[in-house]
Amino acid sequence: MGFLFGLLPLVLSAHDVSDGDQQLLDSGGLPSYIWVGAKHMLTGYDHILFLVGVIFFLKSFRDILVFITVFTLGHSITLIGATYLGVTAKEHLIDAIIAISVLYKGFENLGGFEKVFKTASPNLLAMVFCFGLIHGLGLSTRLQSFAMGQTDFLAKIISFNVGVELGQVAALIPIIFLIDRWRTKRSYGAFYKAANMYLIIAGAALAIYQMVHYLQNSQ
Amino acid sequence: MKKAPIAILAILLLCSHDLFLKMDGHFIPPNTNATIKLFNGTFERSENVIARNRMLDVSLVGHGQRTKVDTTAWYEKDSITFLKFRSGKEGTWLAGVSTASRNIALPAADFNSYLEHDGVLDMLQWRSENNAMDTDAVERYSKHVKTLFQVGEKLTDDWKTVLGYPIEFVPLENPYDIHPGHSLRFKLLLQGKPLQNQLVYVGNDHSGQDHAHEEASNKEHAHEDGTVHTHDEVEPVGETHEHTGVQQLRTDENGEVTVSISGTGVWYLRTIYMEQVEEEGLTHESNWATLTFAIGDGHSHEHGEEAHDHVEDGLPSYSYWIGSLVLVGLLFFWFNRKK
Repeated sequence: MGFLFGLLPLVLSAHDVSDGDQQLLDSGGLPSYIWVGAKHMLTGYDHILFLVGVIFFLKSFRDILVFITVFTLGHSITLIGATYLGVTAKEHLIDAIIAISVLYKGFENLGGFEKVFKTASPNLLAMVFCFGLIHGLGLSTRLQSFAMGQTDFLAKIISFNVGVELGQVAALIPIIFLIDRWRTKRSYGAFYKAANMYLIIAGAALAIYQMVHYLQNSQ
Repeated sequence: MKKAPIAILAILLLCSHDLFLKMDGHFIPPNTNATIKLFNGTFERSENVIARNRMLDVSLVGHGQRTKVDTTAWYEKDSITFLKFRSGKEGTWLAGVSTASRNIALPAADFNSYLEHDGVLDMLQWRSENNAMDTDAVERYSKHVKTLFQVGEKLTDDWKTVLGYPIEFVPLENPYDIHPGHSLRFKLLLQGKPLQNQLVYVGNDHSGQDHAHEEASNKEHAHEDGTVHTHDEVEPVGETHEHTGVQQLRTDENGEVTVSISGTGVWYLRTIYMEQVEEEGLTHESNWATLTFAIGDGHSHEHGEEAHDHVEDGLPSYSYWIGSLVLVGLLFFWFNRKK
């Protein structure tokens, strides 16, 4: 755990708005929004970790397609809607909730609801949609931390969203490939437990880290 | 922009006798010595100092507190009035100066010239359309100026403070929270109420280059001490000047103007609101306002109460991924052995 906490400052730096990105957006037009969106998705570990958790639970390509589509629909609604309307969330607070979604997925995949609460897991498709909405609000808050100007405002939001989807696809392809190949191996059980236990640890650590910063900034 | 407006703007910038609050740097560290300069002349050049007994109010606003500055804290050097102060806590700070009014009597020709040079074009047009170009004037004028500066990185809401001056610009967004390419809206208040359809001039420290002054060089105008003098000693005749960077705007029905921020540097807004008065020994009254601020490219954005810096510090993100893989690997071997 100490090792993981030691890595946490890196998480924050990955979520920062960088001057380089801002300069790119200032001069690069709509393609730069696609690039920054994709970059954010690929470096924003929490989004990817949540998707890893979702994919672990699914076995067929059709299911993966359905769940990823629902997640995409959810985060696109809040990403485009909140940005267009200028609705922002407290950054550390929304990041903490996103981290909890990672913890949730690892916990569910390990049968936590059955073992701990003696009950069935909530409907996964509905939960993925709800968490998609929350992830979209986090992405929107991040996008709004850039100075976007008023010109082509909607087009910039949509371009960023397109970038997010492209980044998501780029990240998922190797992950799906790895999980699918490992599924037939004898060691898959240990891998499944290790990966989902990691999601719980990482989700909990990220959530604590974000809440500490939220409380510090609230003082 | 057409040639005629350019020529007018060129004359405006050079001959105006505005009041500006300026700083060597609008981005300053916390708890360090800093200086605010009072430029009485143009944005680029101060031609006169301001008598301290004319300063009705000198205020510094930070962290929700308005501090009245003792006017004895000012000193003068080379036609510039200086105020040394120590920057306080991190935040967006506001400084303001309001001067007492003075009267000046001007012959018709000089008054017309001054209206043209200082951009009081609505009054000039009224005089032209109402056969009043030959009427002498006695004007009461006062000036009310503000500047915004950023101490450290943290953004605070003091930029929106209304100082209660007879006329003043109030930003509707923190200039230190934006980058070039953004637009900034400002509200112009006259006696606390939005002032509609008022001419506002906007420039920056790049727009004052390449001055034009062919027509204006011999024009007379008034200074703070009430004297009238020419600009011969200031600008040589015959130089080529352009002021294409100066924007001429008008406030809308809400008393607001939108300024397109095209680049970094120090920006200013200026306006002169003039009206005719029916008072013994007086024909006109004017209230002057300016606001200065800087646009940077290395500031932080703040949303709500939380700020995040524009720095790419810390280890690269692959370190996190490598660490995560190591952790997953350790967990894998542990679960594999357990099995």
